[in-house]
Amino acid sequence: MESIRKRAKELLDSKQVQVIIGYENGTSNKVRASFIKDSAQVDKLIYDERCTQNLALYLVKHEVKHLGKMGIVATIPAMRTINMLISEEQVKPENIVVLGIGEDGKLLDFPDLTVMESFLQKANIELTAKDKEAIEKLKKMTTQEKFDYWSNALETCFKCYACRSACPLCYCTRCAVECNQPQWIPVQASKNGNYEWHMLRAMHLSGRCVSCGDCGRACPLDIPVHLLTMHMAEESKRLFGVDSGLSMKMESVLSNYKLDDKDNFIL
Amino acid sequence: MSEFEPKIVAFVCNWCTYAGADLTGTSRIKYAANVKIIRFPCTGRIDFMLLMKAFQNGADGIIVSGCHPNDCHYSSGNFHAKRRWMAFRELLDYMGVDVERITFSWVSAAEGARWAEIVNTTTEKLRKLGPYTNYQNLVKSGIEEEL
Amino acid sequence: MARIGVFICHCGENISATVDVVKVAEEIGKLKGVAHSVEYKYMCSDPGQNLVIEAIKEKKLTGVVVAACSPRMHEPTFRKACENAGLNPFLCEMANLREHCSWVHERNDTTTEKAIDIVRTLVAKVQRNAALQPIKVPVTKKALVIGGGVAGIQAALDIANCGHKVILVERSPSIGGHMAQLSETFPTLDCSQCILTPRMVEVAQHPNITLYTYAEVEGLEGFIGNFKVKIRKKSKSLDEKLCTGCGLCTTKCPQKKIPSEFEQGLGLRRAIYVPFPQAVPNKPVIDKENCTYYKTGKCKVCEVVCPTKAIRFDQPDEIIEESIGAIVLATGFEVKRSDFFPEYGHGKYKDVIDGLQFERLASASGPTQGVIRRPSDNEIPKRIAFIACAGSRDPAKGIEYCSRICCMYTAKHAMLYKHKVHEGDAYVYYMDIRAAGKNYEEFVRRAIEEDHVHYVRSRVSTIIERNGKYILKVADTLLGAQPQEVEFDMVVLATAGIASPGAENLAQTLHVSYDQHKFFAEAHPKLRPVETNTAGIFLAGACQTTRDIPDSVSMASGAAVKVAGLFSQTELTRDPLIAQVNRLGPPLYSTCVGCFMCQPVCPYQAIEREEIKSRDGKVIKVLAKINEGLCQGCGTCIALCRSKSIDIHGYTNQQVYSEVVALFNEF
Repeated sequence: MESIRKRAKELLDSKQVQVIIGYENGTSNKVRASFIKDSAQVDKLIYDERCTQNLALYLVKHEVKHLGKMGIVATIPAMRTINMLISEEQVKPENIVVLGIGEDGKLLDFPDLTVMESFLQKANIELTAKDKEAIEKLKKMTTQEKFDYWSNALETCFKCYACRSACPLCYCTRCAVECNQPQWIPVQASKNGNYEWHMLRAMHLSGRCVSCGDCGRACPLDIPVHLLTMHMAEESKRLFGVDSGLSMKMESVLSNYKLDDKDNFIL
Repeated sequence: MSEFEPKIVAFVCNWCTYAGADLTGTSRIKYAANVKIIRFPCTGRIDFMLLMKAFQNGADGIIVSGCHPNDCHYSSGNFHAKRRWMAFRELLDYMGVDVERITFSWVSAAEGARWAEIVNTTTEKLRKLGPYTNYQNLVKSGIEEEL
Repeated sequence: MARIGVFICHCGENISATVDVVKVAEEIGKLKGVAHSVEYKYMCSDPGQNLVIEAIKEKKLTGVVVAACSPRMHEPTFRKACENAGLNPFLCEMANLREHCSWVHERNDTTTEKAIDIVRTLVAKVQRNAALQPIKVPVTKKALVIGGGVAGIQAALDIANCGHKVILVERSPSIGGHMAQLSETFPTLDCSQCILTPRMVEVAQHPNITLYTYAEVEGLEGFIGNFKVKIRKKSKSLDEKLCTGCGLCTTKCPQKKIPSEFEQGLGLRRAIYVPFPQAVPNKPVIDKENCTYYKTGKCKVCEVVCPTKAIRFDQPDEIIEESIGAIVLATGFEVKRSDFFPEYGHGKYKDVIDGLQFERLASASGPTQGVIRRPSDNEIPKRIAFIACAGSRDPAKGIEYCSRICCMYTAKHAMLYKHKVHEGDAYVYYMDIRAAGKNYEEFVRRAIEEDHVHYVRSRVSTIIERNGKYILKVADTLLGAQPQEVEFDMVVLATAGIASPGAENLAQTLHVSYDQHKFFAEAHPKLRPVETNTAGIFLAGACQTTRDIPDSVSMASGAAVKVAGLFSQTELTRDPLIAQVNRLGPPLYSTCVGCFMCQPVCPYQAIEREEIKSRDGKVIKVLAKINEGLCQGCGTCIALCRSKSIDIHGYTNQQVYSEVVALFNEF
C-alpha cells in the first residue's frame, strides 16, 4: 500500500502522469475507484483483497483521458486489458504508466510497458477454480439443460447494461444492441431479447475477454454473465491458441485466420 | 398426420454455393423444397446474428455455405467465416442452442449434385429433429406475457 | 410508400410447368408496397422487357423484382431495362424461380409456395435498395513495370507503343534478366542475345520509357489508377550523364577476383563493372562491398583514369516518387543452387554445375568463349551427364511442382554439347519428358535421334567423386532397374526454378498475394491469369510460376493489354456495391470507434485511417474509411464490425435482415 502511494507521489510530482487511477475507501466498507490528481492526496490510495475492479475501464473514459497521462493501479486482468486497449488503438501506450499489482498483492516495477508484457507472459492467467468449475458444470449439461439454464438465468435480466458498463472492452460509442436499423436485438427485456443480447455480447468479446469477471460482479441480479465471456476466452485459447491481452500487439482472433484452423463440423 | 416439414433457410455466397445451386437447377437434380436461399456476396459477409434472426423468425434449420478453402472469390472471406463459425458454434452449444440444426458446408460452383445432397440430408435430419419449439417458445414467452 | 413492380416469367414452360405462376403473381400482388404484379411468357424477350419499362413509367414504380432465372444470368439485362425506363438500375432485384425452384422441384403446391416465399423475400429486400451511382475514379496513364527481364521488357515496350508512359525498374545494373545469360534458345537454337539485345536497346531509346536500373521499389500507396510508388535508385557512384561508357575504369580497377553474377560465378569481374558487354545501360556501377576505396578509404583508381570525371564516391541513394496508374510485376525466377543437393555434391564438386552455369559455358560470350570446359581443370569433358528434375517434383525437397522449362533446356544443353564436342557422350537422366509446346517434342526427338543423346529413365541417387571423375549411382527403370555406377567427367543439374529472392517482401510491399512457393498469385487460375487480386497490378513471366520465353513474352503482352485497356479510359467506372463506414455530425463523427479490427480482415487493404481534426489541426478521432478504389465488396468487415458502423451497398444490414424476416413472415 505504502509502495503504491510512494510511486504515485513520484509520478505525480515529476509530472510523468497527470492522474493516478487507483482504489480508495468508499462507503459501507466498500472500495471504489479513485482519481488522484494532486500528490497531496495519494494517502487516499489503498490496496487490499477487496480491490477487484478492473480499473482499466477508466482509461477510455473521456473524463479521465482528457486529464493527460494516466498512472493506473493494475491487477493482472487490468494489465491484460491495457494490452488489449493498446492493440485495439483505444489508448496510446505513451499515455500510460502501470503500477502493477502481482498475485501476491505487491507492487511490481514496470519502467515501461514491455516489462509488463514480459511479466504477463509468465503470469498466472488461469480462471479461478470457482469459475472453472462453474463452466465445466455447464459444459457437461445436455443441450436442453443448457438452454433451460441460460434462458431461465437470463430471464430476470432487465437490460440495465451494468455488465456492459463494467466491461473495459465494451467501449463502443454505439453498442450493437442500440442499433435499430435493423433492430438486431429485440428491444424488450424478454426471454428472447435477453438471451440474444448476452449472446451478442459474448460473441463480441470472444478472443478479447480478459476474464476479469467485472461483468458478473456488476450484475445487480447476480446473473453469471461472466461465465459466457470467460467460456469464449477459454475457447479462443483452445481453438486458436490465443490468450488475450498478453502483448501490446495482439492480433484480433476473429479478424485473422490460419490456413490450418481446424474445424470438425463443416461439410 | 402428415410428416413435419421443416423450414430451412440457406445463407450462401454468390460465387460458389449460389452458383452451385444454379448448377443443380441446370442439371435438373431434384431436392427437397424446404430450403430457401438468401444470397450474400461472400460467407465473410454473413453476420452471426442473422442466424439467430432466422431462428427467431421461425426457421427450424439453417444451412451456411460458401466456397471451399482457397477458392474464395475474395481470397480469404471463407477463412474468416470459418473462424467466426468455429467460435460462434461453441457459444451456441454452450448456451444450449441446438447446433445440429445448423449445417455448415463448402459447396463449389461445380458441385450441383453435392448441393442437392446437402439440402436433402439437412432436410431429412431436421424432419427427425422436429420443429424448433425451444426457440419458438423463447420468442413467444415475452410477447404472451405482455398480452 | 414503396411502389414495387413484380414481373414473373414463365421462361417458356421452364418455370410455369412446375410453378403456378398465376397464383404467385396474385399472392405477391396482395403484399404491402407492391403496386404491380404480372406474369409473362418470356420476360427477357423484347416485349417482356418492354412490359417492365412501360410499367415503371406508367405506375411510377420505385423498385422492380423480376422473378425468372438466376441473377447470375439476367440481372444485367433487367437492370439495363430499368435504367432505360429511368429507374436507377440498382433498384432492380431478381428472384431465382428457375434454377432454385422450378427446375429442382416437382409441380405441386409446395413448389408454388416456395416460389411465393422467394419472391416475397426479394420484394422485402428491394424496398430497402438504394439508388446508387457508379463510382468513378481518375486514371493516371503511366505504368510501372518491375523487373527488366524479357517479360518486363516486352510489357514495357508494348505499353509504351500504345502511347503510354512507362517506368521500368530493374534491381541489377542492367536489364536483360536470365534471357541475356542464355546461350541459345529452344526449340530453334537461335542465339538468345541476338534476339534480346535489340529489344533492350529499344527500351533504352524509347521516348515513352524511363529506365531505372540498380533500383528497387520500396513502397506503394494508393489504388488502381492512382498509385504512388517510392523507388530507391541505389547509388552507382557514378554521374551517368557524364559517363560515356568507355569502360576504361573497368579495366584498371585493381579488384579483379570477384565472381561475376552474370557468369554464375564461372567468370570474374572487377569492383567497378558492367555486368556484360551488351548491358543496357552500358555504364558501370561500383560494387561497394568489394571496392577497395569503400573498404579502406584508399584507391580511387577509377576516378583517376576516368576521362570525363564521372566517378562520384559520395553519391547517395536517390528516392524517386512517381504517380502511376498500373503496375506490371515481372520479377522473374531464380534457380536452386549449391547446398540444396548435398547428395549430388553440388557446390562441393566443381564440375557439378547447374543449368544456368552450363548456359554460360555454352555461350560464345561466356567465360570459355563457348567451349565446354570443366570448371575444375579446363578440360573438355568427354562424358557428360544431365540430371533432370533436380529438386523439381520432389515433395521431399519441398518442391512438388514441375519447373516446366528443364526438360526442354536439358535437351538443348545435350544437343549443344554434342554440337561442340562431336566425339563426346551425353546422357540425360530423367523422370518423364515433358515437351508440351510448338515444335518441342520434335526438338527432343532430334536430340535423341539425330544428335544421339542417350536418354535414361532414372533417378540419380548420389554422385561420388573419384580421381577427378564423377560416379553416378543410377538405375535404368525401363531396363529392369538394376543399380549401376556410371562414370562422367561433368554433371549438369536441371535445378528447380524457384521464386525470385525478395519476391515475398515485394508482394508484401505491393499487397499482392503469393502462393506457398512465394510465386505471385493470379486472381483466377484460368480466367484471370495475368491479374493479381489487387486491382491494377498485373503479372508477367516467371514471377507467377516458372515459364519459358514464348510463354513469358505472351503473358507480358497480355498484361500490357490489361494496362492499355485500363488506360483507354479517363475515368474508371466501378459497380458501387462496396462497403462504407458511416459518418455522422460532431461530436461523434461516426459510430466507428477506430478499433481497426476490420483492417486485417480486408483482403484488398481497402480500409484506411481517416483523422478527424479540429480547426486548429488537433486530431479528435481516428476512424476507419473504405477506399472506394480498392474495396471489392466482399463484406467481411461488415459482419465483423461490433458497432455495426460499416455497411455494404447491395447487401446492407437492413436488406439482408428484411430478407430473413420476409422469408418466414407475410407483410
